[in-house]
Amino acid sequence: MDALYLVKIGEITLKDGNRQEFVDTLKRDVKRRLSSAGIKNSFGSRDARYYLTVPESGRAAAEHILSRVPGINGWARAEKVAKDIDAIAATAVELMRERAAAGARSFKVEARRTDKGFPLDSYGIARELGDRILAAVPGLPVNVRDPATTLYVEIREAAYLYTDGEPGVRGLPVGSTGAGLLLLSGGIDSPVAGYRMLGRGLALESLHFSAYPYTSREAWEKVRSLAEVLAGYAGGMVLHTMSFTEFQLRLKKDAPADRTTLYLRAAMMIAAAALARKRCLNSIVTGESLGQVASQTAENMRFTGSYTDLPILRPLVGTDKEDTIRTARAIGSYEISIQPYEDCCVLFSPRHPVLRACFERERADFEALGLGDELRAAVAATETVELPCPLTPPA
Amino acid sequence: MNGTYLDWAATAKPWQDLSAESAALAVRSFGNPSSAHGPGREARESLEASRARLGLSLACPASAIVFTSGGSEADSIVMLSALLRGADRSAVVSAIEHSAVFEQAAAMERLGVRVLRVAPRPDGTLDPRAVADAVRPDTVLVSVMAVNNETGAIQDLAGIAALCREASRGRALLIHSDAVQAFGKIPFKPVALGLDAASMSAHKLGGPRGVGALWLRAPIQVLARGGGQENGLRPGTHNVAGAWAFSMAAARASDSMTEALSRARALEARLLQGAASIPGCLPLPQARAAGDGRYSPYIVPLAFPGLGAETMVRLLDDAGVFVSAGAACSAHSKERRVYDAMGTPRELSFSAVRVSFGRESSPGDVDRFLEAAASLYARYKT
Repeated sequence: MDALYLVKIGEITLKDGNRQEFVDTLKRDVKRRLSSAGIKNSFGSRDARYYLTVPESGRAAAEHILSRVPGINGWARAEKVAKDIDAIAATAVELMRERAAAGARSFKVEARRTDKGFPLDSYGIARELGDRILAAVPGLPVNVRDPATTLYVEIREAAYLYTDGEPGVRGLPVGSTGAGLLLLSGGIDSPVAGYRMLGRGLALESLHFSAYPYTSREAWEKVRSLAEVLAGYAGGMVLHTMSFTEFQLRLKKDAPADRTTLYLRAAMMIAAAALARKRCLNSIVTGESLGQVASQTAENMRFTGSYTDLPILRPLVGTDKEDTIRTARAIGSYEISIQPYEDCCVLFSPRHPVLRACFERERADFEALGLGDELRAAVAATETVELPCPLTPPA
Repeated sequence: MNGTYLDWAATAKPWQDLSAESAALAVRSFGNPSSAHGPGREARESLEASRARLGLSLACPASAIVFTSGGSEADSIVMLSALLRGADRSAVVSAIEHSAVFEQAAAMERLGVRVLRVAPRPDGTLDPRAVADAVRPDTVLVSVMAVNNETGAIQDLAGIAALCREASRGRALLIHSDAVQAFGKIPFKPVALGLDAASMSAHKLGGPRGVGALWLRAPIQVLARGGGQENGLRPGTHNVAGAWAFSMAAARASDSMTEALSRARALEARLLQGAASIPGCLPLPQARAAGDGRYSPYIVPLAFPGLGAETMVRLLDDAGVFVSAGAACSAHSKERRVYDAMGTPRELSFSAVRVSFGRESSPGDVDRFLEAAASLYARYKT
């Protein structure tokens, strides 16, 4: 017996001319993830509804994936039964019993009839099923205004029944808006920024700047764990690591102490842009939030941003930290981010970094440092690992 | 594993022959020493022989030795016994104890035992008078380690025991020492020192992990109960093979102590002399000199100001030289509790790595450490 899911898409439905492209991207993404897990599947649409079928043995993996694929607004386990009111009612009663056992204390039935040949109309189906459920499931009264659970019935080429679904990531399918490069530190913000952009359809590769040996192997493991969390939403993740140690030592030696963070960020932009071009990525994604730390003022963003003509996407720029933390907890990155391993920025950060860079002066001073060779060497020595799409949540 | 191992205070390389023979013994004398049959008797005989052998190393009767799962358990048996000593009671510990005592004391504090922590002098040693001054009429326990695991400072246990005893004015007072870094390395005779209890560990001497011993002048009331093994002092089925390997490793350590100690003194001198020629590098405490009787020569802390200890440990690790930043068991915590208590500036304590010697350490090891440390320090110091 196969497991059937009804998959709801959201924003894609608002698309007009190129809607099919988005749908195809989503289909490819879902099928690729399931196939790579060795799960046979069919993902198709009928009458503007999307159905996923997998073997019963693939249920857990399929549900894990459906909750993590951007572009899916929600999904529900569905039952497909013959277009016979007795058969439909039997399944309806069974589903509502399960919901009642799970704690639901009221219900309603919503029916839709696309097949006008079916003897009962939508209202008739809802009334008939409501009566039968009331009789068969004690302690579950009807509440049409604010039901604890809803039974959906759709009569098409067969009858489909499903109840309240699970939420999805929403947004647009991964890759539908191209691919960008996420600057991934070990902190709380950058994984959330990555998650947000994945939800906007941006496929991602990640770049981490390492300061080994000033930072530990554990610090890098932590970054890899964060990349793995994102891989669950992205369907896999390429993680690049660039050693910035020599570069930071040089900055520490030659740059004014209060400029080191600012110049480091500028150098990161230059290096990220170089890597992005090499990997054909269309943008740079950061976890910056306006005013959060000294390097994240508008003036300093102008300075650092001036070192690339790629768009710098900052999805958290106007987000409150508490909201970012809430998202981090929800996607499973928070507990990893708060592990106490310092990242490269912390170790070399000045006590009083410059807050408002004077654009022209800083550009002149930064360029006078002549860091091109160090930067080219760092980019050339980039190490890359490919992380697969995990089918179970990270431990 | 190839490389230069200079972290013997964290754990010693196990004696290969003892390890192999112990595995064979575990199979051969498999009986439970508490069983009243042939295999049980055989195991019991082996266990008691090990106890007697360990007693020789400690210059104490076999009956005073309780086998445990390690130094930490030995510590906690003694510490927790204080909970059974009436309602109003206090315990005195030094501020530089190993976590096995220090954290246990903090836990007891939460259970209502008043804990007084005695700070060391800047050189890492405790003034016996300061320890005795902390003893109050309700004090039931004093615990001071024999050799500090981070600094190597040797505590004047005889002086501490005598003065505390005097301060207790005849009231029952248990004087305990965590001797994990002392036993088998420097002369340590608990009876002669006037102690009541002492904790030892096998793996610091090349014995197995998970085996230790508690020496008790007289039986004490213990908190943990079970099958009554070890006269009810440490419940749990005996580790017969482990006890054997421990007693053998301890015997070897005792037999070779004098020459091992002079070899360690020579290594200490070589290390301190070499360190002095690395610009910026300092021993901790800074006044520590080779042959200074206040310190165990087996443990030498060196500070590399301007380079974090964790970073130095990583760099040395990559260079095939293995040392610790402070204590191995607090390698991931940012604290430098012992040095803070000594009043050592954090600039020094946070950059201090611990070099520690063992039976296989050689002048070549010291030279390899010095060479690697000098070049890494010059390159990565910030």
